[in-house]
Amino acid sequence: MTLHRPESLDEALSLLGGGAVVLAGGTDVYPGLRDGPPPSRMVDLTRVAGLRGISLRDGLWRIGAATTWTDVLRAELPACFAGLKGAAREVGSVQIQNTGTVAGNICNASPAADGVPALMALDAQVEVAGPEGPRRVALEQFIRGPRNVDLRPSEIVSAVLVPEATGQGAFRKLGARKYLVISIAMVAAVVEVSGNAISRARVSVGSCSPVAVRLRGLEEALTGATVAEVPGIVAGADLPGLTPIDDVRASAAYRREAVRTLIARTITDAMEVRDVT
Amino acid sequence: MPDTLDPHVRFGSNSGQPVTRRDGLAKVTGTATFAADNTPDNMLYAVFVPAAIARGRVTGLDTEAAAAHPGVTHVLTPQNRPPLQGDPSDKPTMFSFRFEALQDDSVRYAGQPIALVVAETLEAANEGARLLNPKYERLTPRTDIDDAEPYAFEAAGFGLPANTVHGNPEAGHASAAQAIDVTYETAPQYHNAMETHAVVAKWEGDHLTLDMPSQAISMSCAGFAYYFGIPAENVTVRSPYLGGGFGSKAIPTGPYVLAILAARMTGRPVKMMLTRQQMFGPVGHRGQTRQRLRLGADDTGRLTVIDHEGIAATSTFDDFVEPAANASQGIYAAGALRSTHRAVKLDIGTPGPMRAPGEASGSAVLECALDELAEKLGLDPLELRLKNYAETEPGTGKPYSSKALRECYAQGAERFGWNSRPRAPGQMRDEDGLLVGWGMGTAFFPCPMFMAEANATLRADSTAVVETSAVDMGQGAWTALAQIAADSLGLPLDKVDFQAGRSGLPDGGVAGGSGHTATAGGALHAAGGDVIRQLGEIAAADPDSPLYGAGNAGFVARDGRLYVAGDESRSEAYTDILARSGGAEIAGNGSASRAPETAEQHAMNAHGAVFAEVKIDPDLCQMRVTRLVGAFAAGRIINPRLAESQLFGGMIWGISFALHEEARHDHKRGHIVNADLAGYHVPVNADVSGLDVITVHEEDPYVNALGIKGVGEIGITGTVGAIGNAIWHATGKRVRRFPIRIEDLLTS
Ligand SMILES: Cc1cc2nc3c(=O)[nH]c(=O)nc-3n(C[C@H](O)[C@H](O)[C@H](O)COP(=O)(O)OP(=O)(O)OC[C@H]3O[C@@H](n4cnc5c(N)ncnc54)[C@H](O)[C@@H]3O)c2cc1C
Repeated sequence: MTLHRPESLDEALSLLGGGAVVLAGGTDVYPGLRDGPPPSRMVDLTRVAGLRGISLRDGLWRIGAATTWTDVLRAELPACFAGLKGAAREVGSVQIQNTGTVAGNICNASPAADGVPALMALDAQVEVAGPEGPRRVALEQFIRGPRNVDLRPSEIVSAVLVPEATGQGAFRKLGARKYLVISIAMVAAVVEVSGNAISRARVSVGSCSPVAVRLRGLEEALTGATVAEVPGIVAGADLPGLTPIDDVRASAAYRREAVRTLIARTITDAMEVRDVT
Repeated sequence: MPDTLDPHVRFGSNSGQPVTRRDGLAKVTGTATFAADNTPDNMLYAVFVPAAIARGRVTGLDTEAAAAHPGVTHVLTPQNRPPLQGDPSDKPTMFSFRFEALQDDSVRYAGQPIALVVAETLEAANEGARLLNPKYERLTPRTDIDDAEPYAFEAAGFGLPANTVHGNPEAGHASAAQAIDVTYETAPQYHNAMETHAVVAKWEGDHLTLDMPSQAISMSCAGFAYYFGIPAENVTVRSPYLGGGFGSKAIPTGPYVLAILAARMTGRPVKMMLTRQQMFGPVGHRGQTRQRLRLGADDTGRLTVIDHEGIAATSTFDDFVEPAANASQGIYAAGALRSTHRAVKLDIGTPGPMRAPGEASGSAVLECALDELAEKLGLDPLELRLKNYAETEPGTGKPYSSKALRECYAQGAERFGWNSRPRAPGQMRDEDGLLVGWGMGTAFFPCPMFMAEANATLRADSTAVVETSAVDMGQGAWTALAQIAADSLGLPLDKVDFQAGRSGLPDGGVAGGSGHTATAGGALHAAGGDVIRQLGEIAAADPDSPLYGAGNAGFVARDGRLYVAGDESRSEAYTDILARSGGAEIAGNGSASRAPETAEQHAMNAHGAVFAEVKIDPDLCQMRVTRLVGAFAAGRIINPRLAESQLFGGMIWGISFALHEEARHDHKRGHIVNADLAGYHVPVNADVSGLDVITVHEEDPYVNALGIKGVGEIGITGTVGAIGNAIWHATGKRVRRFPIRIEDLLTS
């Protein structure tokens, strides 16, 4: 087995192909090996110059592909990122957050990836680097299914991009135990409020469908809602995007019922935080 | 009159002090060597291949590919496995189970070893194991408790009777004014001590040295000796540190025997350490149970009968049965008691003892059933228990050696604030709108003693060395036992060199059954007493000693001096006595066990009362245990810090049992789908808050010389039921299956 540790993006790209596996924090790659051998070649991105860190340029926040969850937590970010920070705080444990990356979370494309709904609610895009130069794709399109992303063997994700926005983010995760738990369901929201009513809501739910989804119908229905009206609107909404299944963590029936409470509370969290600030 | 140490007599006494663990520093600084930390020269690594199916046959193994992998030295399969001298189906010791060591190609549970790969590196062994790429002939697995017919048998657990009846249960049912008939289930739980099973085996001629975590050192020697056809004294087991045992590390298992066999075959030391996933199969587990409880009571709440039937899952090739129904014996003063067990043979690894085997599962259900009865009778659950308080052992009428359960109820209830509990469910909410519920349960655990021996040697400089092959599983035995040894010699703790944790020392017995401190401690106490007796004889016979002629009065040993009992003015330092007698060492020895007559005269149990508070989100149904108060009467507490920590640990296991722990089988394929710690949940720190332990004073002159009852297991009992009852109290829902899952509380 060969571990490559390139220091530039070009060098990294030149090492891809031929079965090489991209490695960031390794917190999905290594457990995924189970008792199997490591891949014959791995390309570690964590030393590539300029790949780690969060910056704002031309109205776009750029989260470099080697940025860890702990980096997200420590970064000074506007209020709309509160949901992403909430997810960062609940991905695994502190040890996992210190090494696991945002990009790794989306590339791994688990239905239970906590980062995905948080980023979807921010309308995140994925910046892909490859031999033909960079391209951008919306996160919602990038993840095509469980463990299936829009990435060719010659490509890597170089950054996750988030358009600058107002509004307040929030995130809630539901697990059977209190910490270090794979989500039964999680909800992220970014809510803009004018007066005391929602002017725009973006809501995304994970672990209740093969890929996390934005609830666009609900988002529309929420426009103009006050805090008091939110639970009623959520309770009555048609949520066709959610197709939960029974698994070891919880039953589908439970998920269907609990997720509405979780959605209403997450939106309320976002509205109430905004009210105080 | 039994010989009890009165802690108050002894100025400077070590026992009763909250001494920190003597091995704590070594452990937190990483210098403690656990079994797998040993790496002798020329060592090979062994990895076993676990069966991926639960029932059938192995039809193909690519041994050529595995053997051809660089670094792989041997591949063992049923075709070429060298013979064992003892049959793996035999049971040479009390802690023996039938195991799989490549006897044939059949697969009897998922996770069973089906091949062993030996290599120069762990990586090569793992790769060789993967390359074997087993092919199977699959039969329909039976892993659900309903997949086979329950059958009756003679003995449950470790030879406990499968059926016990006191009084006339039918009459008890007939005379009941109120009755309940409920069936509960408990989940299979798998051993997952922090340290997985590990061994480094080394042969020198027909002498075998094993670095391995062992809860039963001399029994392990005897067991392994049997399978390899050598005398037990040819086996050396070194087990200085264990990362937890909980009942799984007392037993020779198939993987261990295969690793030892590989070492004999290759003539080189062999190391094997199980992966976390490999723990879900061949190392024992707490068997799944289904328990039916029928309780009858008269109108005032006096129990006319406790009728407890248990069905437990066991393997197809052995018969350990979780003796859950026995938990209803000996605890409440019912008119009649009946405990019966049946078993169901499934395609699973053989269950075995796991912390409070039987008591944990049985108490969980008994305490919930009593709560259901209290509800029916309109009684407070604590009142119901007090109405049925047993002053003597129910059924036998034997007096208890001691029983401060009433004080446990009172002190626990007081600390918890039980009196303000509304009787009806669903009445309490906290400031955040969460449902709040309070429940309680009685904790109960027997006080067995095993056999142990110890030596003590007092040196001329007033230091001592004491020896016994006792085991510190992490619970702090080395510290508590050293405290007992120091007291018995009348020396401060730091003057006593405590040698334990390996064979070749006097047999320290088994660290299990909550009886280790009592048993090994009893032997140490006797050995120290033997030294002091001899020292007293020397002094009393020495005209130059201030103690001359005082032999009849007896002596008290304290802080390196011998005092005439009852006359503090006459004393002499050990060093002076020994100096005049030629400076020789004094060696003593002692043993401990319980005489059968003593066991006949009294019922001996530790008791306790556990009170739980849960908070439940009314919409999401998330359950959190927010407070647990446990009051325990467990005889003499040698080290309050360590005892509390044992009781905390038991209560945390109770949280785990009630809300988290469960191995889930895929009943179609037969394997366990959550066989790792990501999927097999135990509580994390954030799930455990508000733990409070009270140790209720109890002096017991009968249970053993030291008055010790043991604290290792009782904490689970009572706790599980208390949590289940609190969940009912918060929600009005009776969930009759453990662990209680979030979706069980779904209202629609
Ligand atoms: C104990 C534990 C607990 C966990 N708990 C959670 C949890 O609660 N919530 C949660 O969402 N996740 C959890 N995870 C999963 C994991 O930690 C996260 O998904 C993490 O964000 C993955 O990031 P990483 O950098 O470690 O990814 P890696 O393991 O390095 O990579 C993951 C995948 O992405 C690919 N990849 C990584 N970076 C790139 C890139 N730049 N371009 C292209 N492909 C790339 C890799 O090839 C691999 O397929 C847990 C993991 C563990 C071990």
